[in-house]
Amino acid sequence: MSATGAHPQLVKRSRALQLLAELPGAAYLLAFMSVMLTLATPEFFSVANLTNVALQVSVLSIVAFGMTLVILTEGIDLSLGPVLGLCGVVMGLLLVGGWPPLLAIGVALVIGAAFGTLNGTLVAYVGMPPFIVTLGAFGIAMSIAMVLTQGNSVTGLPEYVRLFNDGVLLGIPVPIWATAACFALTYVLLYHTKFGRYTFAIGGNRQALILSGSPARFYQVLVYVYAGGLAAIASFIMTARMNAAHPTIGVGLEFDAIAAVILGGTSFEKGRGGIIGTVVGALAVGVLRNGLNLMGVSTEWQVAVVGLVIILAVSLDSLRGLNQ
Amino acid sequence: MTMQLARANGAMARPELLGLSPDRLFVVVSRLVALTLLVVTLSILSPHFLTWSNLINVVRHAAPLFLLSAGLTLVVLTAGIDLSVGAVLGLSGCIAASLITGGDPVLGIAAGLGAGLACGLVNGALVSYAGVPSFIATYGMMWIANGLAYVFMQGEVIYGLPAEFRLIGAGFLGPIPMPVLIMFGTLAALHVLLHRTPLGRGIYAIGGNPVAARLSGMPVHRRLVFVYAMSGLMASFAALVVVARTNAADVSLGEEQLLPAIAAVCLGGTSLFGGVGGVTGTAVGALILALVLNGMNLLGVNTFWQAGVLGFIILVSVFADQIVGGRIGRAGGAT
Amino acid sequence: MTISRRQFTAGTLAAGAATALGTLPSGSAFAQGSKPTIAFFVKNVTNPFWKACRIGAEKAAKELGINMEVVAPTKPDNIEEQTRLVEDWIVKKPDAFVFVPVDYKALVPSVQKANKAGIPIINYNNKMTDIEKVTFIGSDDALFEYEICKYLFNSMGGKGKVVHIDGVPAAITAQMRKKGFERAVKEFPGIEVLASQPGQYRRLPASQVFENLMQRFPEIDAVVSANDDMAVGIVEALYAAGRGGKTKVVGIDGIPDAIQAIAEGKMFATVDFSGHDQSYLAVQAAVRHLKGEKVPAEILLPVFIIDKSNVGKVAKTPEERAVPSWDKVAGKA
Repeated sequence: MSATGAHPQLVKRSRALQLLAELPGAAYLLAFMSVMLTLATPEFFSVANLTNVALQVSVLSIVAFGMTLVILTEGIDLSLGPVLGLCGVVMGLLLVGGWPPLLAIGVALVIGAAFGTLNGTLVAYVGMPPFIVTLGAFGIAMSIAMVLTQGNSVTGLPEYVRLFNDGVLLGIPVPIWATAACFALTYVLLYHTKFGRYTFAIGGNRQALILSGSPARFYQVLVYVYAGGLAAIASFIMTARMNAAHPTIGVGLEFDAIAAVILGGTSFEKGRGGIIGTVVGALAVGVLRNGLNLMGVSTEWQVAVVGLVIILAVSLDSLRGLNQ
Repeated sequence: MTMQLARANGAMARPELLGLSPDRLFVVVSRLVALTLLVVTLSILSPHFLTWSNLINVVRHAAPLFLLSAGLTLVVLTAGIDLSVGAVLGLSGCIAASLITGGDPVLGIAAGLGAGLACGLVNGALVSYAGVPSFIATYGMMWIANGLAYVFMQGEVIYGLPAEFRLIGAGFLGPIPMPVLIMFGTLAALHVLLHRTPLGRGIYAIGGNPVAARLSGMPVHRRLVFVYAMSGLMASFAALVVVARTNAADVSLGEEQLLPAIAAVCLGGTSLFGGVGGVTGTAVGALILALVLNGMNLLGVNTFWQAGVLGFIILVSVFADQIVGGRIGRAGGAT
Repeated sequence: MTISRRQFTAGTLAAGAATALGTLPSGSAFAQGSKPTIAFFVKNVTNPFWKACRIGAEKAAKELGINMEVVAPTKPDNIEEQTRLVEDWIVKKPDAFVFVPVDYKALVPSVQKANKAGIPIINYNNKMTDIEKVTFIGSDDALFEYEICKYLFNSMGGKGKVVHIDGVPAAITAQMRKKGFERAVKEFPGIEVLASQPGQYRRLPASQVFENLMQRFPEIDAVVSANDDMAVGIVEALYAAGRGGKTKVVGIDGIPDAIQAIAEGKMFATVDFSGHDQSYLAVQAAVRHLKGEKVPAEILLPVFIIDKSNVGKVAKTPEERAVPSWDKVAGKA
């Protein structure tokens, strides 16, 4: 998970030049920023800071994995942020109420999957635009989380919750393990199962698939369910990170996740892209934000720079014809 | 694409009434019915609702929301999205207010509108010429406009705008509030633009069938730039009205404006798939939203429910359109 | 904690005249010859309250000859982002954090990390528990709201119809202020609370909520607003509806616009909730701690009500405002 890892790894394969041309702008951005920051600041290239960045992008990455699948089906899920908040709040309330942790996480997973089912059904079977469906779910999830907590943080969680953020296994913090596990699961699902083949096929060929009688709609619902489930898992890491659950903690995360996915070279159209790019995209966002802080760029300018970098990186891809 | 064609064919095959296909007719009728039902229900539930001053209130809240979502409607008609409208509203409002309180109202208004126009032009160029997805181009612009507003304002708030300027937000012409006049004036102008000019028909064509639009030799790129530029311009226009109404400007001006604006567009029956809908619907959508919020306030509903109620209304309205349009399961998946 | 208005004004003026420049760096952190660096946190770069804090802190930093860097999330008041900021700044290892949490509970784990890294924490404005801190510098929100409400209700002869406009309900400041409001209401049986609704601490939502409330209640004697930005919005709404001058509006903060409204007689009163003073004292406390001086465990600013009688003497901008005297406010502890 080191910041520079993804880039050389990809280049080593055969047809290196071809791959280099197909790399998303985010990969170049990531490599460029890593070199510059290593030269410019003494702190950047240290184990402590790189662990930091990996920790900071863990929640974003997990949400972005699910988002990648949704976008591959030419969909979008704006509700993932508030659903993450709602899952965290419900889990927090149950844990404070003395429920066993596995059951509490189970309930959170059910909530995430339920919102996924709602979104997926309205999109796949009713044919409503994903943007609208998930915007509606956005409002509903946020309201429920706010009403449940009256807008307050849920605190007083059992001691062990924090271990899921502070804990270290083989020298690597637990959230990074969790992110790696989610990545591995998504990777296998996407590239080695029927579910994955349908995910790629639905983008661009949905009409043809349905007409040919294949269960494309069912798999499309599953994609939203999976994204909701990952949001529930991410909510657990987020809760451990804060040692508290907050109803609005996820709001805005959905847009960041979409940006990470698109930066990573996945296209809004025709099922083009993949999960490895998303890791690069999320890391690029993480390194950018971390770097701006380390460089001491003022907050006001940071806001403008983030927007500019996202536009530049994606323009680079568009002009090379990568996401057409 | 195939879906768009299929739908166009389907609409043509059916009988038309008042120049509208049955499903469009349903959208129009259902929104008017919803509007009437809301007014009747609120009049029964709250004695304060059906008063002249309260109704003026509602329309005054709806006006800036309409201005913001009217520009967005044009973008959505081309099957695009503009996420930067709220941030652009904030940036233009701050620039305009700062110059106006500095003693130069004409320059202030021009600069505010110019800032919005500039942001819109950049969005349009990115989308049409660079081929950046509208979602990402305008998401980036949202950050940039926010950032520039932060840099420009440095945490300040601008207060105390001159009374003459405030007329456009807080003034009256006879018994009618200025924002309402502005709202209906803009509505009329945009309606004519969309339905009586080649440019307007072009906008529908781009959203309905981009390939055919391109093949017909239409200047698609330039029209797309125009659409995004209008969206930016309308956002800064909304900013002037909001600043004049609240008599203050700070960078939070545009916060939480984006989602209601999108909601108004959808409630108004404009399809996010592009090519279907219009600004009149958006005006009705903005009115419905303002009525719902007003009603919840009058009835003392916990504000935590507001987002959920809005979400639910959006889902139900688009769901109903799908059912009546007989489009269930037919539509494709583009956002 | 309450002292009379005149007393405090006199104190502030005196402090302004004799700005403390006396002490020269001599302690351990200064002995190495390099200027210490302090990371000064604010909740956002959008609200003038935090700008006032920044100015107060910058005055102290300049006066004491230290480096100060302002740290703020790009998304206003964003918990997750402030967590990342704390983590990034632990890597940068400044000599001290002058810290305000955007959520006083959710930021605990990250501040504990800073504790573990040995960075001294000076907590200001929103009090945190469960962390190791050098001191807390701030105001008692509940007491502030209680005092201004008592002042208002007394001026109404102890009876009348009141509307309460809350801040962001989840914010600890809003919750404490609401408690203070409720405490005052309990003491005045003649006061009838017509409604209590959140205005999100922002002018536009507050004025919209209030415009709707005006429809519901043709007669409102007073409005208690949880901050000044909303209070001024409410005053505007009242005048726009032709109901100006009949309703007494109070706020908290003492922002320039509210001070102007009070001077014009449009608004009734506010409490000086000085971010400028809090942050000035917080940076002072940080430097004094680094020099090895003993700093009191908690420093609370006194309640100071601004109304028509004393509004002329109040500084209009944080730049013009005189800095408080450390010895006066903290020295006695």
